[in-house]
Amino acid sequence: MMKQIRSLAGLLCICLFAVSGLAAVSEAPSFRLPAIGGEIDLAQLEGKVVYLDFWASWCEPCRDSFPWMTEIQQKYRDQGLEIIAVNLDKERRLADGFLQQMDINFIVAFDPSGETASRYDLGGMPGSYLIGRDGNIHASHLGFRDKDKAKLEKAIQQLLQQPQEKVK
Amino acid sequence: MQLSSIKKELGVATCALLQAPAYATDSSWDIDTAVLYYSESDGRVQAFEPAVYASKELGDDQRIDLRLVVDVLTGATPNGAHASTVTQTFTTPSGNGSYTAQPGETPLDDSFKDTRVAAGVDWTLPFSRLSRVRLGLNGSTEYDYTSLGVSATYLHDFNSRNTTVSAGLAFNNDTITPVGGVPTAFSPMREPGATNRDGAEDTKTVTDMIVGITQVINRKTLIQLNYSLGLSDGYLTDPYKIVTVVNSETGLPDNSALLNVNADALPYVYEKRPDSRQRNSVFFRTVHHFRRDVVNFSYRYFWDDWGITSNTFDLKYRYEFGRSYLQPGIRYYLQDAADFYRHNLVQGVDVDVNGRVLLDTVSSDYRLAKLTTTTLSLKYGYALGDNSELSMRGGLMNQSIDDGDVPAGEETPDLDALIINAGYSLRW
Amino acid sequence: MRVLVCLSVLSFVAGCGSMDSVKPWDKDLLAKESMQPVPDYFENFYDEHIYFSKEASSGGQSVGGGGCGCN
Repeated sequence: MMKQIRSLAGLLCICLFAVSGLAAVSEAPSFRLPAIGGEIDLAQLEGKVVYLDFWASWCEPCRDSFPWMTEIQQKYRDQGLEIIAVNLDKERRLADGFLQQMDINFIVAFDPSGETASRYDLGGMPGSYLIGRDGNIHASHLGFRDKDKAKLEKAIQQLLQQPQEKVK
Repeated sequence: MQLSSIKKELGVATCALLQAPAYATDSSWDIDTAVLYYSESDGRVQAFEPAVYASKELGDDQRIDLRLVVDVLTGATPNGAHASTVTQTFTTPSGNGSYTAQPGETPLDDSFKDTRVAAGVDWTLPFSRLSRVRLGLNGSTEYDYTSLGVSATYLHDFNSRNTTVSAGLAFNNDTITPVGGVPTAFSPMREPGATNRDGAEDTKTVTDMIVGITQVINRKTLIQLNYSLGLSDGYLTDPYKIVTVVNSETGLPDNSALLNVNADALPYVYEKRPDSRQRNSVFFRTVHHFRRDVVNFSYRYFWDDWGITSNTFDLKYRYEFGRSYLQPGIRYYLQDAADFYRHNLVQGVDVDVNGRVLLDTVSSDYRLAKLTTTTLSLKYGYALGDNSELSMRGGLMNQSIDDGDVPAGEETPDLDALIINAGYSLRW
Repeated sequence: MRVLVCLSVLSFVAGCGSMDSVKPWDKDLLAKESMQPVPDYFENFYDEHIYFSKEASSGGQSVGGGGCGCN
């Protein structure tokens, strides 16, 4: 019963985040993961706006989000946007097979055990988090539909406009 | 008849638990084509059934599914009378022709050749982030039967989409237009030329309801449990089935009492089933992924107010070989007889001297008898590329009917059938 | 038999609620075609049609679909 209440509360929290993108911010959990070309540590990206996306080769809507992420990374890289696509496949070769078909211009990291996803309380896939220059999660989003693109881009633009400042 | 399956009914742009990964993106069609060849032994039914199914994501988490099936039937089917030690003669449904069964032969009516076309469309739309509704429209037509129906199913995910609860409702309205007209129940089959008919057509309505729960047990296992209730009302009798009237001493077909109804009566009367039926079933399924292979097992317990109860076991084991798979399957079905099933009617006991049937309802249709169906199958599937798959399945079905204590030579014979189906599916 | 089935169903449903959730990223196997309750639409469709025509029981898996004068 308690577990049910907790997971229900957790689900509710994610819903609130996704629906309203409220100023109910929380610090983004830190992570250091293997990535294409080496390693990625979230702390390295302090001061940048980070779009953190969790995906897997077996998740169909994840495929649809990749071309959009490539477009957005290209468009806003100079303004300080960094996209990190964290792969959750249990077998690396499945992720590689998927990536071969895509043009990637953003960071791809690997979290096969799901440990980082767990710390972000990922509620579904694809799931994304918008982390501001202050290192806090400002919004989270579940799923990827055509109609979400405009809304997501606007949220990114807003965060990019916020000046660099340390909130510690 | 239930056409649709639960697969391909969920289409949302998040990876929810019960999603097939090969889902159409906003711009592509998922197309399935298939064909069935079904052939019974001893000159009985043969069916050829090509079909096509197309599914497309419409954006906004909506999806449309379309299906079209053509069913071509030929061959002969038992008419309800049983084999006898004498030659038997029957009149065709039209009332114009005649056919016979030799001694020891199960009487088969081969005058039915039928082509049936069935079509359906399903539209799935989101209700909330975690729920959706699927609306369906279906219809079928053949030369003596038309069916039209609607359905609605509501699905709701809980528990991080590890649990899905569903509730569905369907209404079907069927019109039966038998060749030669609707026979008067319990009236005698007459010699060619005249018929006992009640009009050209009759109707029945079928209401079905289902509630179900699908639950993810762990990363490799899911289970499903459904309860369904069905209510049928109207003309539920088979207009082509008869019941033999036999002499209480000789056990041979005897029309002497029936001659008081019609001077040209043959020793058979048209069957009569109740005009309502309440069906229940509890269905369980589990799917489990081993290190590489997958097992799919289902069990159904069925009972109704006609006295029929049945148990269905279905087991499929899929051996995976990378691009291809081999799947043996076994299905085992046990059924108890309907309350009103009779091997025949005895003159003087079930039929009085005036030729009147003394029972409320009677049928000799072997499909309502105590029987066992065993089917063994083997399926082979091969992925042609990332977007298409070819599959082929062969099966052997044996149906053995337990008539109880019947005189030698009158037993209902086993039914053996060959089932072959092939399919090709692609993402276009 | 019927009472036993109903009791099993009820305890089943009650049990479902208290199970540990499987995380979204652990649903890789469940997403496979082979793990769907009905992986092959027409295989299931043809079977339902054959057994509806040859036996006295029908359904249990879903609703909707229509009737036929199967004789």
